[in-house]
Amino acid sequence: MFQLTGFTASFGSATALRRADLTIRQGDRLGIVGESGSGKTMLALCLMGMAPDAAQLDGRLEIDGHDMTHATETAWQHMRARRVAMIFQEPMAALNPLRRVGDTVMEPMIVHERLGRDQARQRALSLFEEVGIPDPVARLRQFPHELSGGQRQRVLIALALACNPDLLIADEPTTALDANVALRITDLLVRLATERGMALVFITHDLAAVARATQDIVVMYGGDMVERGTTAEVLADPAHPYTKGLLGARPDPTAQARDHNGKRRRLPTIPGTVPPLFSLPQGCRFAGRCPVEIPRCATNRPAPQDLGANRIAACHLLRGQRP
Amino acid sequence: MAYFLLRRTVGFVLTLLAVSVVVFAVMNVLPGDPPLTILGLDATDDALAALREQLGLNEPLLTRYISWVWNALHVDFGISHSFRVPVSTLIGERLPLTVSLAVAGMAVTLILALSLGIGAASKHRQVGDWGVMFLSQLGIAVPAFWLSMLLVLLFAVKLRWLPPGGFAGWSDPVAAMRSLVLPTVALALVQSAVLARVTRSSALEVMRQDFVRTARASGLSRRRVLWRHVLPNALVPIVTIVGMQFAALVTGTIVIENVFYLPGLGRLIFQSISNRDLPTVQALVMLFAAIVVTANFIVDLLYVVIDPRLKVRA
Amino acid sequence: MRRLPANFIIGAILVTLVVGAAALSLVWTPHEATQMNIRDKFAPPSAEHWLGTDQLGRDVVSQLMAAARNSMSVALIAVLLGGSIGVALGLLASAIGGWVEDGVMRLADLGFAFPALLFAIMLAAVFGPSLTNAVLAIAFINIPVFARVTRGSANQVWTLDYVSAARAAGMNRFAISRDHILPNIAAAIIVQATIEFAVAILAEAALSYLGLGAQPPAASWGRMLSEAQTLMYLAPQLAIYPGLCIVIAVLGFGLLGDGLRDITDPRLTRER
Repeated sequence: MFQLTGFTASFGSATALRRADLTIRQGDRLGIVGESGSGKTMLALCLMGMAPDAAQLDGRLEIDGHDMTHATETAWQHMRARRVAMIFQEPMAALNPLRRVGDTVMEPMIVHERLGRDQARQRALSLFEEVGIPDPVARLRQFPHELSGGQRQRVLIALALACNPDLLIADEPTTALDANVALRITDLLVRLATERGMALVFITHDLAAVARATQDIVVMYGGDMVERGTTAEVLADPAHPYTKGLLGARPDPTAQARDHNGKRRRLPTIPGTVPPLFSLPQGCRFAGRCPVEIPRCATNRPAPQDLGANRIAACHLLRGQRP
Repeated sequence: MAYFLLRRTVGFVLTLLAVSVVVFAVMNVLPGDPPLTILGLDATDDALAALREQLGLNEPLLTRYISWVWNALHVDFGISHSFRVPVSTLIGERLPLTVSLAVAGMAVTLILALSLGIGAASKHRQVGDWGVMFLSQLGIAVPAFWLSMLLVLLFAVKLRWLPPGGFAGWSDPVAAMRSLVLPTVALALVQSAVLARVTRSSALEVMRQDFVRTARASGLSRRRVLWRHVLPNALVPIVTIVGMQFAALVTGTIVIENVFYLPGLGRLIFQSISNRDLPTVQALVMLFAAIVVTANFIVDLLYVVIDPRLKVRA
Repeated sequence: MRRLPANFIIGAILVTLVVGAAALSLVWTPHEATQMNIRDKFAPPSAEHWLGTDQLGRDVVSQLMAAARNSMSVALIAVLLGGSIGVALGLLASAIGGWVEDGVMRLADLGFAFPALLFAIMLAAVFGPSLTNAVLAIAFINIPVFARVTRGSANQVWTLDYVSAARAAGMNRFAISRDHILPNIAAAIIVQATIEFAVAILAEAALSYLGLGAQPPAASWGRMLSEAQTLMYLAPQLAIYPGLCIVIAVLGFGLLGDGLRDITDPRLTRER
C-alpha cells in the first residue's frame, strides 16, 4: 500500500533521512521509535507529502504503486485525509483556536467528499462517539480552549478519521498528555485501527506504548533505520547496539528506585546526545556514541542485514559477523 | 460580556466628551479673537461687538460649551456665517461624497492589503515577498497628495482616460464614479502600504503555528488554509492597525478631496478656514475626531467577535 | 563586528544626502532660492539651472535645497518639542504609577483621536495659517506617541534588579528615573524619534501643500507641489522633483529608524 525504497530526504549536506526502506500494508500496526532528531517526524511528514520545501527528496515513495516522490501539492491534497491522515504531538496548539471543533472536523468531509453540512455533522457526531467524546452534540459547538488536552487529542483523532483514511500516522500523540490519559489514547488508537482495518504508524519514544500498541517496530537513529522486526522480538532481544542502549535507557518499572545500600539507582543512559544533522558521522550514524565501535564504523555505512523472521538490523558487528 | 460592553460604551462616551472639550477649548479659550480673525484688522468696533454678540461670545465659557454640546446632540451646529445656512445643512450636502470616498478607499485598501500581505507571507523569502515589501516600504514614504498628482499626470494629463478632478454631482452616476476612481486609488494605495506589511508579518506569525499544519494534513488546499485558517487568526493585529488607520483615513480623505477639488467635507473645512468660518470648522473637526474615536470603539468590539477566547476574559 | 543591516546603510546614505543638502544650503545654493527672473521662467535643465526654473524663473535646485533645510528644521523642532514632553510624561507615569499613570495614558489615547491635520486645522482657523502652527500641530501628535513608548520601556526597566537595589538604597523615584531609567530606554526613544522624524517630514509637506504650513516665499517641498499642481499641463516636471525629495527624505529616516531598531533590539529581527 505504502512503500519507501531507498528514500532519502536531505537539506544541502545534512541528511535527515537516509535510504529508508519501508512497506506498510493494510492493517499493519507499526511503531517507530528513536530519540528526538532521529528522523521519525521527517519520515512521517514525507509520508504525508509535507516535507519542508527546502528538503531534497531522492529514492522512491509509492502509494498503491503510484510514484509520489515528486508529486505536486495538488496530488498530495487528494491523498491527505482520504488515504493518509496524521495526528500531531501538541493537541493544545494543533486546533484552530477560532473555530468550533465541530466545524474543524467537518471541513475535510465538506471539501473532499462534498458532503452537505447536515451529513457532515451526522458523521462528525458518530466520529465523536467512536473516539469516546462524551456529550458529542454539545462538544461539536465548543471551541478548543473549552476542552481538556485529552479531549482535544480525541477531536484531532476524529479529524484525522474524517475521510476514512487507510493509514493513520500518530506522531507522539501522547507525549503532551498525563500518563493516565496517554494510556487511554494509545488503546483508543489500537481499537480504531483494528475495528477499521486501518494501518497505524505510531511514532513515539515511549517503549511501553510501542509494546502495547504495535505488532512491528522500526528503530531509527540519525536518519537511519537501524533495526526492524516484530515488536515483541526486537524488544525482547535487540540486535543493534543502539536498540540495546535505548532499552537500557528505559526506566524499568520492576526495579527498585534505590539499591540495597539505599543509594539512588542511576538509570542506564546512552552516553552523549544525538549530534546535529550536519555533523553526523559518514558511516554508521551511531559511531562515536556506540559502546562496541570498531574503526570502520565511522567511515562505512553498515548495510541492513536480514536476520531471518523479518528481522533486519544495520550494524557491522551482528551475530556471526564478528571479525 | 454585558459588563464588558457597558464598560467599553462608557469609556467611548467619556472619550467623545473629552474630545469635545479639547476641540472647544482650542477653538474658544486659546488667546485668539475670533471676531477680529473673522472680520480682519480694519473692522470697526461696532461690527466687532455685534459679531461678538451674534457668536454668543459674551456668555460664560461653560454655558457656551454646554449649549454647543447640547445643540450638537440635536444635529444643530449653529449657522455658518460665510454660507449663511445652518452648518448641519452644509455637512448634510457634502457628507455622501466624503463617506463614499472613505468607504471605497477603505474597501480597496482592505482588498489590496490583505491579498498582498497574505500573498507575500505565502511566498516568504521569494521574489514576490521582496517585491511586496519593497513596494510597501516605498508606499509608506510617498505622500498621498503627490501620488495623486502623479496619477493625474499619467491618467488625466497624458492618457486622458479619467478626469483630473472636480465632481459634477450624482445625477450622472457614471461620471460620478469616474471622478472618484483616481481619488479612491490614491487613498487606498498609500493606506494599504502599512496594512500589507502588518498583514504579512501577522500571517507569518500564524503560519508557524501547529494548527496550520493540521489543516494542511487534512488535505486542504494552500489557498483554503491561507484564507480560512491563517487570515482569521492573523486578524487581531490587522484590526488594531485598521482602527489606527482611521485617523490616517480621515486625514487622507481631507487631503485627497483638496487635491481633486471634490466638494466634500474635507474641501468644506478648508473653505471655512479661508472664510474664517469658525463654527463650521469647529463642527467639522469635532465630526472628524468623533469618527476616529468611533472607529476605535468598533475595533474594540470587533476583537471579541473575532476571538472567542476573549469572551471569557472580557 | 557584526555586519550592519542593509536598511540601516541605505537609510544612512539617503539621510546624509538630504541633511547634507540642507546644511549646504545654509552657506551656498547655486542661485538665491527666492530670486525671481520672469524672463527665464520654465527654463529647461542646463549648466546654469541643473533642474531648470519654475513659473517665476526661480532655480529649482536652489529651492529644493532651501526646502530641505526648512523641512529638517520643522521636523527637528517638532520632534524635539513633542518628544521631550512625551518622554517626560511617560517617565512620570511609569515612576508614579497608579492613577497618574492611568490618567496620562488616557490622555495619550485622547491625543490619538486628533491627527496632526485636524490639530493644524484648528490652529489655522483660530490664528490663521503659519509654519509655527504646523510645527505645534506636529509636535502635539508626537506627545502621545513618545509617552506610550517611554512608559512601556520604562515599566520594563523598573522591574530590573538594580533598580530595586537603587530603591532599597533610598533613592527617590525621580532621581532613579533620571539616572537609571532614562539611559536604559534611550535607545528605544532614539529609534522612535528617527521614525517620527520621517512622519514629521511627511506631515510638514502635507500641511504646506494644503496651505497650513510654510507661507510664501518660504521654500517648502509641499508648497512647491501645490504651485506645480496648477501648472501640470504646462510644466509637469515641476511636479516631480519636490515629490522625489520627500520620498527620499521620508524613506531615508524610515529605513534608518528600522535599521537602528534592528541593531539595538536584535530579538525583533531574527524571525523576519
